[in-house]
Amino acid sequence: MKQAKSRSHSLSSRLPFKGAFLPLAMSLVEKGAEGFGYGRREAGGLVLAIEELFSFYARQATADSAIDVDLEDQGYRLALTLTFRMANPDLRAFNLTWNCSLDSEESLELLGPMLAARSVSSLRLDFGTDDQVVLRLARNRDYPPAADVPLPPGDLKSPLRLLEPSADDLRHFAAMAVAAGSPFLPGFLARPGMAADMLAAGHIGALLIEQDSWIRGGVLWHPLTGSCLELYGPYIFGPDADAQGVTLLLDAAVARISRSPYRGLVRRQGVLAGFERFFDFLGELHLRRGDAAIRSTCYYRQLKEESSGTVYCAEPLASFLDKQYDRLCLPRQIRQAGSDPARLRDGSVLAVELEHERSLAILRPLCAGKDMAANLTAHLDMLRGEGIGNFLVELNTGRSEDTAFAAPLAETGFVPRLVIPDAGQGDLVVYDHPEPEGRV
Amino acid sequence: MNLEALIPEYVRGFQAYVPSKPDHLLMREYGASMLHRLNNNENPLGPPPAAARVIAAFPPERAAIYPSGDSYDLRQSLGARLGIAADRVLVGNGSCEVISSVIKAFCQPGDNIVTADKTFAVYEWVAEFSGIEARLTPLRDYAFDPQAMLDRIDRHTKILFVCNPNNPTGTYWTQRMLVDFLEQAGEDRIVVVDEAYREYIDDPEYPDTIGLMERFPNLVVFRTFSKMYALAGLRVGYLAGTEAVVEVVRRTSVAYSVNVQAQQAALAALEDDREHIAATRTLVREGMRLVVDACRDLELETVGGAGNYLMIRTPINDMLMYRRLMKRGMMVRTMTGFRFPGWIRVTLREIPVMASFAAILAEEVHAIRNQRVPA
Ligand SMILES: Cc1ncc(COP(=O)(O)O)c(C=O)c1O
Repeated sequence: MKQAKSRSHSLSSRLPFKGAFLPLAMSLVEKGAEGFGYGRREAGGLVLAIEELFSFYARQATADSAIDVDLEDQGYRLALTLTFRMANPDLRAFNLTWNCSLDSEESLELLGPMLAARSVSSLRLDFGTDDQVVLRLARNRDYPPAADVPLPPGDLKSPLRLLEPSADDLRHFAAMAVAAGSPFLPGFLARPGMAADMLAAGHIGALLIEQDSWIRGGVLWHPLTGSCLELYGPYIFGPDADAQGVTLLLDAAVARISRSPYRGLVRRQGVLAGFERFFDFLGELHLRRGDAAIRSTCYYRQLKEESSGTVYCAEPLASFLDKQYDRLCLPRQIRQAGSDPARLRDGSVLAVELEHERSLAILRPLCAGKDMAANLTAHLDMLRGEGIGNFLVELNTGRSEDTAFAAPLAETGFVPRLVIPDAGQGDLVVYDHPEPEGRV
Repeated sequence: MNLEALIPEYVRGFQAYVPSKPDHLLMREYGASMLHRLNNNENPLGPPPAAARVIAAFPPERAAIYPSGDSYDLRQSLGARLGIAADRVLVGNGSCEVISSVIKAFCQPGDNIVTADKTFAVYEWVAEFSGIEARLTPLRDYAFDPQAMLDRIDRHTKILFVCNPNNPTGTYWTQRMLVDFLEQAGEDRIVVVDEAYREYIDDPEYPDTIGLMERFPNLVVFRTFSKMYALAGLRVGYLAGTEAVVEVVRRTSVAYSVNVQAQQAALAALEDDREHIAATRTLVREGMRLVVDACRDLELETVGGAGNYLMIRTPINDMLMYRRLMKRGMMVRTMTGFRFPGWIRVTLREIPVMASFAAILAEEVHAIRNQRVPA
């Protein structure tokens, strides 16, 4: 999986960070999107987002500062990156629950970033050195759903062969995965054109198996974080005697990515028989689909031998981590964090990623604050109001802004279920929220 | 400073190799009371006695003086031993350094090298971070597949790397196979044969690479003092080729990269290696027998042959096996990075260490089989 930024598919511009340049920034995005062949509907979200974010932060920017606007056509999506320097950027508005009251000027202003966050397919905030703030937004291309395709007959006899898929092979494979009703289909497989474009852009990796010129199955991988890949599959169409297909695909996929820069590989798609040869068992998340309780099983394997770290945290997280590290034989030092609530900021900030198909919200701490428990509760209430029934929290063990959330998470009914080693800044602890009507 | 813009594309996507930490830190992290390194294929006997004496008697004032910039005396001695002119030998800071020199000497962006996918990774790494395509061919029956390599040659192919014997599978090409390969590969590209573990092999069929250079002037051989000669910590390796080829590689090599103590110790090692090699071969043979038997009892598949290492198929993910064994003070090499997920590689050492490794492995395997985590 090699990603290269092509100069013919990107444009960059540095503008003075002043309101007067807002129209230019907006038309840069609008005309750029048009130039790259995106429709009005697809470009609209990004134009709205840059309008809101540019005007909101330009007001806080110092007189001589500049903003870099980068727009890149990645084939399956349009990616917009805004980079600027700001000592104390106001991030409160990224909280989805920010209450806007029409008579408070401040809260009206903060509405902008919130709208921006909702108008795009994904939004990520990163903080660099020297007060650098990087906002990454993307809007996926609109793709049609999968066409119906035939599945292989059950009596194929010749040996299975690995196939390095072309974009067209992968498009066909994705349509087969939809036709087979495979559970745990990620969004990019449900839209075969998107999977094909992502492969062409180098944003996913994939291997297929074929038999008698039928595609018999496949496995895919995609970055979960900067240090961890997520594996999807193996999907097998038809019988798989002695797990031959699964073994062939997993051996080859792990061999393929083992010399990549990634440190780990996670699989979150339910039970995999005979997983032990490939994965460590991490744990299960308790989720709901409609009225049914389902368990999402997570597996993991390291890709590099070296893994260590120190975690500063308090109970009850410390005991949970201790148990997990011991079970997984992971070398980690857990040290008691000295927490002084009085020294926290007033307002905490959470980033939210929504997956409507799974009725799922993933919350990620951005900043700790005195109101953490109240903020979590407000998010739960608001998201439930939007029809969301599953809540996960991802917490980086290497970030004290994150580990400060441990006690408020316990207080609001979140339960730590598993640790994904080296998946973020340190390890990633995943919480779920088992009682929708819980003790909030 | 826009660092990103400074970095060539092929370096941007490359991740630095992370070497293992010092023993004392690893022991603390894993809570192990001892640590046996079975991960780097080192020789536990230590250097031959003459080399050990040179190292012990090293006069500190010599540290103030630059070494010979081209390992003059060592090259004379190697030349005499190999029966070739000293100018046909180029000494490097470990054979890893000469890998880099050869690639720099012959390849430019747009060129490619051909090697196997499941072998020593440095050929592939150096090529990739130099902007050279590494074409990788699958092994066949755990061995380098000559036909697969020949099939990947095109007009941009500059070097073919053959690891003989292969690390980690222990397979090797005989003289006949190598000659066939050289004949088919043609003279328009360099063929490198890495013989890092050649001294472990006692087989008349093993290739006489130096002898073949007259017929195949594109043949280059790598050897090292790190393995059999137990000087890994001093970093000395070398290549041998025809005068013309070595002259080109010398242009892209850094003079003075081999330190004075390493040169002296290697020279002494060479002159006192007969009994040392015999003793090491015995130790490896016995260690191999012990571990292979233990694995058979545990119904664990093994792959090995030449060289002082053995691959073992693990009942669980090799990375978890590694961490379990680390907690018990046994450091092996996971094979995920060699594209053999589900295998570990163990360096064959003295019998007491091998016996304790076998016992710990058995305990871990039994524990794993008795308490499978519920799926
Ligand atoms: C096949 C092979 N070649 C070369 C080397 C590197 O040896 P040196 O220490 O001489 O750099 C090794 C070391 O592991 C090896 O296995």
